[in-house]
Amino acid sequence: MKAVHYLNQFFAGLGGEEQAETQPTRLDGAVGPGRGLQAELVDVEIVATLACGDDYFAEHEEEALAALLELLAELRPDVLVAGPAFGSGRYGYACARLAAAAAERGIPSVAAMHEDNPGVGEAGAAYVVPTAVNVAGMRDALPRLGALASALASRRELGAADEEGYLVRGFRRNYVAEKTGAARAVELLLAKLAGETRTEVAGDMDRVEPPPAVADLSSALVALVTEAGCVPQGNPDHLQSVRAQGWFRYDLGGADTLASGRYESVHGGFDVTLANEDPNRLVPLDTVRGLERAGRVGRVHEALYTTTGNGTPVVVATKFGQEIAGELRDAGVQAVLLSGT
Amino acid sequence: MAWELATFSADLFREPEAIEGVEVELVTPGSPVRVTHVLDAVEPRIRPDGRAAFPSEGQAGEGRTNRLDGVVILSCLDFPGEERPLHEQESIVDLGGPGAALTPFADMTAVVLTFSPGAGGHVEIDAHARETTLSVAEEVARGTLDAEPHEVERFELGVADESLPAIAALIQISDLGPLYIQYVYGTPAGEAGLPRAVDPAEILDGAVTCGEYHWAAMRNPTWFFQRNELIRTLYRQHGKTLRFAGAVLMRGYEQSAADKQRAADGAADVARDLGAQGVVITTDAGGNSHTDVMLTCRACEQAGIRTTVVLAEETDPQSTRPILTDWVREADSIVSTGNVEELVEAWSPERVLGGDLLLDGTPAREAGPIPVRNYLGAANQMGQLALSARTE
Repeated sequence: MKAVHYLNQFFAGLGGEEQAETQPTRLDGAVGPGRGLQAELVDVEIVATLACGDDYFAEHEEEALAALLELLAELRPDVLVAGPAFGSGRYGYACARLAAAAAERGIPSVAAMHEDNPGVGEAGAAYVVPTAVNVAGMRDALPRLGALASALASRRELGAADEEGYLVRGFRRNYVAEKTGAARAVELLLAKLAGETRTEVAGDMDRVEPPPAVADLSSALVALVTEAGCVPQGNPDHLQSVRAQGWFRYDLGGADTLASGRYESVHGGFDVTLANEDPNRLVPLDTVRGLERAGRVGRVHEALYTTTGNGTPVVVATKFGQEIAGELRDAGVQAVLLSGT
Repeated sequence: MAWELATFSADLFREPEAIEGVEVELVTPGSPVRVTHVLDAVEPRIRPDGRAAFPSEGQAGEGRTNRLDGVVILSCLDFPGEERPLHEQESIVDLGGPGAALTPFADMTAVVLTFSPGAGGHVEIDAHARETTLSVAEEVARGTLDAEPHEVERFELGVADESLPAIAALIQISDLGPLYIQYVYGTPAGEAGLPRAVDPAEILDGAVTCGEYHWAAMRNPTWFFQRNELIRTLYRQHGKTLRFAGAVLMRGYEQSAADKQRAADGAADVARDLGAQGVVITTDAGGNSHTDVMLTCRACEQAGIRTTVVLAEETDPQSTRPILTDWVREADSIVSTGNVEELVEAWSPERVLGGDLLLDGTPAREAGPIPVRNYLGAANQMGQLALSARTE
């Protein structure tokens, strides 16, 4: 199997700071730290070394990446190894950006650098092996980098970050565990009873602190928002019954009530029979109008916001919420009656 | 009380005779076949004493039951597109390709029943399909009646060391309305007097059957109750690392906040009556059943019963943190059965059974990558399989 190794001008032996403007260059075989790395690779040969000046990469990133990716495309390696860059910010950034771009193109890629190197956050789906902050950590870094690079080249499914020695990238990924969920559950429960609580999912809900209560509702503009899939009869905008792709705004036109002939729910996650007999059960417009007439609510916002909350990914639902909240804020709405199902 | 499960080789498999309105196909293990619109998966079972293998009266989990190893019945049905309050979701079993890793059925002989819906509404059509599927599961196992088993397992909870922790299984089953219902002795979960304690062997012996067709990955088909890994693990560990205190069935998808709290408190009460010091709480389906599970977790912890919860994640693949529908602070011990939002690599099967078009109209043969959520039982929340998710 073939590896390509990426180095900056210094480690590639092209010169120091004065050569930092060096454009992407291809060198044959292993160079500099690549020789030590080669000794740690299993069934993998470094067929070429790509080098680029740190300044050139930083100042001409687009051109540098394009040239390096073109060289990679010609070489068709089984794995790309970049660095180690240790604590060097510019070098670490170049390693990470190239590794991320290669990984995006389906080339298994690993960079190596200190965990505080700003490049760590730029590595995308590529792996990062942590190293010491300076070159004194070379001897320690190469065996770990070599092991991970060999594993990537072999297309072996990698284990967890701590087992394989890479920095957590933060993505949740499915994998097949050694034991069934049932066996793991019994183990976790017995451990918890023995005083050692562990979890496979850290509960960490996005909890929103409520703002202070509205001081005087009798002068407030109050909006109605729902995820009950409540739409004008016939669903003119084709709101989905499940996994909604968007939300809609409908003018209430001063109506006193959500009449059953004029509104319906298209929600696919609950039995809508009773809701459709009287859509006020989903969005209590009739009651809120009563409060408005009685002077207990200042005014009802004439726009009804609606979507379907059923199987919606949280990121999508969060986006809907932010968009709707933005419009409500711009309209001067001070309170919202949000009915869920 | 003791129950024996006798295992027989697939050589005794009896091909079912023609059934009106049903197409029967046999698929050999590992065939490059995709099965779509799968409602349920059932293990062939029959009782030598002539009682029903999936009883609607009497008690399961006593005497002896025969099982046919290595054979699974898959029932498939595309409901007619009439108005109905709840809709089934696409449910796939891939017997080959990358999806085969998400199912226990790929290395079995599959008897695929594809129903052509006759007259009547979705409630009648579903009832007919479920009854037929369970009766085919008995018919297919009939050959075991005159044969010798190659293994007999005995399920009996003997006296165990009192110093071992007492553990119960708290199993949530769904009832949200037609097409989203699990059945206890043939009765919808919502009318089955839940929560209540049952002999764990009842669950393994056909007392619970599946008529819940919500997100496929988070479903618990009948096979997962018959072969329930949680119950079997607790039997195996009884007297070794724990005392198996029993099983509690509870309903998910209670409809009002008060009913949800009442069900959670009730389940904790039953667990306490069993003397449980710890419970594993399992989940069925998604969305508001996850709130039921969290409330149950809290109610148990407040009653002094330690909990571990089994749940699937619904995490966007680009997200760097796991996403659950609901969570309470007491849920500090959670088993992840995988992320249903992740895509499974595209695969082109040689044959498609169940129906050529997926419910969204995509041709099943060239569907591209399919989310885990559409694979039957893949991220089931009883811990039947080994799929999980981790931060990488």
